[in-house]
Amino acid sequence: MSSVEKRQVEEAAPTQAWLMGAAGWLVPGVGHLLQGKWVRALLLGGAVWVCFIAGLWMGGHLFIVKSGEAGSSMLYQVPPMIANLGTGLLYLICWFFDTGFSDDPVNAARATYEYGNTFLLVAGLLNYLCMLDAFDISAGRKS
Amino acid sequence: MKHFLVMTSFAALAAVVLGIVAKDTQRERMVYGVKVFGEFLAIGLVLGWILYFLPF
Repeated sequence: MSSVEKRQVEEAAPTQAWLMGAAGWLVPGVGHLLQGKWVRALLLGGAVWVCFIAGLWMGGHLFIVKSGEAGSSMLYQVPPMIANLGTGLLYLICWFFDTGFSDDPVNAARATYEYGNTFLLVAGLLNYLCMLDAFDISAGRKS
Repeated sequence: MKHFLVMTSFAALAAVVLGIVAKDTQRERMVYGVKVFGEFLAIGLVLGWILYFLPF
């Protein structure tokens, strides 16, 4: 097998890897759980879940692009929304029940409000890393 | 104290994920996780003190 062919075989990710990545995104930890990586699923998934729940508990705000907002103001919501979306189903459930999205001045006045925002953003970003890890394990690029 | 506790929790959660994801062996993960945790705390405290002396 030539080196080019060998590289193509190595780079082609199986469908299962994409499914594991998607599962890991949708429910934090499940991507590893489905591959039998119990400890890793517990630690990674647990960290994301705790981060998200702590963020909501501290009064953090989840971001969403609202159509009613003016041009640039709407664009400012896109990057944090992408970060929040990283938590998959957790974000979608909150969106469905309209939890954490309201601009409540009482919440904003809390000392932990900004911490809550940070926890929620970082929960999503960490889950993107976990998702990639699950993908790599399934594709055989990592042990 | 509450702020420090929140910062410590944040550092611990991020360190767990970064440690597991970034390294391959158990030992490397432990060392890297502890290093990330320590760095988060140290940088947070240093920045806190720098900002404390700023008048605005």
